[in-house]
Amino acid sequence: MMLAVTLTVKRDAFTLQLNNSLPLQGVTALFGRSGCGKTTLLRAIAGLDRHADATVQCSATIWQQGSRFVPVHQRRIGMVFQESSLLPHLSVKQNLLYGFKRLAKHIAVQLKPEQVIRLLELAPLLEQAPGQLSGGQRQRVALGRALLSQPQLLLLDEPLASLDQQSRSEILPFLQRIANTTGIPILLVSHQLDDVVKLADHLVLMQHGRIHSQGPLQQQLLQPELAAIGAMSLLHAQSQGSNNHLLKLSIGQQQLQLPAPQHANTASYSPTSYRLRIQARDVALSLKPLSDSSVSNQLQVSISGFNIAPHPAETLVQLTLEGQPLQALLTKHSVERLGLQVGQQVYAQIKAVALD
Amino acid sequence: MPELFLTLSPQDWQAIRLTLKLCLYTTLILLLLGTPLAWWLSLSQSKLRTAIQAIVALPLVLPPTVLGFYLLLLLGPHGAVGSTLQQLGLNHLAFSFSGILIGSVIYSLPFTVQPLLESFRRMGPRPLEVAATLGAGKLDQLFSVVLPLCRGGFIVAATLTFAHTMGEFGVILMLGGSIPGETQVLSVLIYDHAEAMNYAQAHQLSLGLLISAFVVLFIVYGLHRRFEREAPL
Repeated sequence: MMLAVTLTVKRDAFTLQLNNSLPLQGVTALFGRSGCGKTTLLRAIAGLDRHADATVQCSATIWQQGSRFVPVHQRRIGMVFQESSLLPHLSVKQNLLYGFKRLAKHIAVQLKPEQVIRLLELAPLLEQAPGQLSGGQRQRVALGRALLSQPQLLLLDEPLASLDQQSRSEILPFLQRIANTTGIPILLVSHQLDDVVKLADHLVLMQHGRIHSQGPLQQQLLQPELAAIGAMSLLHAQSQGSNNHLLKLSIGQQQLQLPAPQHANTASYSPTSYRLRIQARDVALSLKPLSDSSVSNQLQVSISGFNIAPHPAETLVQLTLEGQPLQALLTKHSVERLGLQVGQQVYAQIKAVALD
Repeated sequence: MPELFLTLSPQDWQAIRLTLKLCLYTTLILLLLGTPLAWWLSLSQSKLRTAIQAIVALPLVLPPTVLGFYLLLLLGPHGAVGSTLQQLGLNHLAFSFSGILIGSVIYSLPFTVQPLLESFRRMGPRPLEVAATLGAGKLDQLFSVVLPLCRGGFIVAATLTFAHTMGEFGVILMLGGSIPGETQVLSVLIYDHAEAMNYAQAHQLSLGLLISAFVVLFIVYGLHRRFEREAPL
């Protein structure tokens, strides 16, 4: 799916100006600081706001151009808002079916209520009123409700922003499930890099009302603008099974071992591939493999470049691991001491990994 | 008390029926007109809004005689509306039920618009945006979201409008006079009774009106409290 948007919005000291195409497949994150225009763009795509002279085109369908304006309810988008948006006069079940009842008679049903209730584990909540639910549960119901309206595109406007850390970690696996199982393209607005790295396949970086860059997440993480927030890397690894609570992962020819995750849902939902989030400061480099170190995950990598780090005494070393990019944050002093050069083969010791 | 009401004259009963008819029609018309008006006021950013809001609130501060006087000029045989109607072969509207109905609608307008406006504002735009993204068109949103979420506001608006119209006097006297069966509503009849020194008759109608007004307001505030408690937003 391809979204083409031309949009100019002027407000007091802020101008949003876009003329971009966003290819949407899997999870695309619209990332930027608060106030950079992410939500304004999302609302224009949804048709919730009508800006003069804007054009919005979704694949072959023109949603807005000149006097043509397809109203929100005919765009077949699912939307989840930042704060709880369940209709308070309806039960959870009635909320879930609100969109389904209205759209299921016009279009082919791809997601049935039973499927969505199972996917998001909503069965125990069905008869409750929205007021009785926790923040995380409400967002789960809102997600299910959006899915059941059979959307061709799912728009998520900071769906985790109003939740505490506990609820966030409860809802993230469900978002991953939706992305993996439904195949509906998702456009996720977020200002939390952590959430983005957990979920997204592509990242659209917004700055000062413009789209700065877009591309696959792995490559986008190398952008200095993101490195300034917290340099990290994303690696895709295949599961080779677990033994003694140790999960074996392979990246190309190389192996890693990590403590196996212990969330309740791994038993019923055990993935074959994992996303590994690695902070650049958790990666150390050595010229030879270390045999007398407690760090057991050592990977052979080659140096592909050096980038400026936020701190003047540090350098971000760009590495290539089996074709995937990896970043290490070292002091300039260390880089000089080891004599690191582009093209050199070195060993990366990885001290900490977050698994998704 | 029962024997008091048994002595109501046919003229009294006629006034009661006329009053109820006027209140009912006014309430229905105002719910139809006031809902879109309050809706527009709750959303509009335009400069016109302040002016419209002031006009809606005018009947609250203006002496009813002023309102009645201008309506009499406008709707009477020499007024813009009245004379146009006469040229079309119709009757002018002074001293008629239609005339006092128009007067009542204007006079009670703020009592419909204010509670509705308050409940629309309390609901906010989000529930409607949600409904729209779930495939509900405008009319669908009105029935599936606005009415259930703002029913407290609608009930309060309807009851207040009804009760306020029941207590209307100045506008009707100026615009409608006191024609039995046409414009002689309870408040006007009570005035006539008192003028004619029929204190007993004035008394029983006044007491009836007092009690029913109290009951209506008691119900309104009871409902208001209930909806306030239930208010999910």
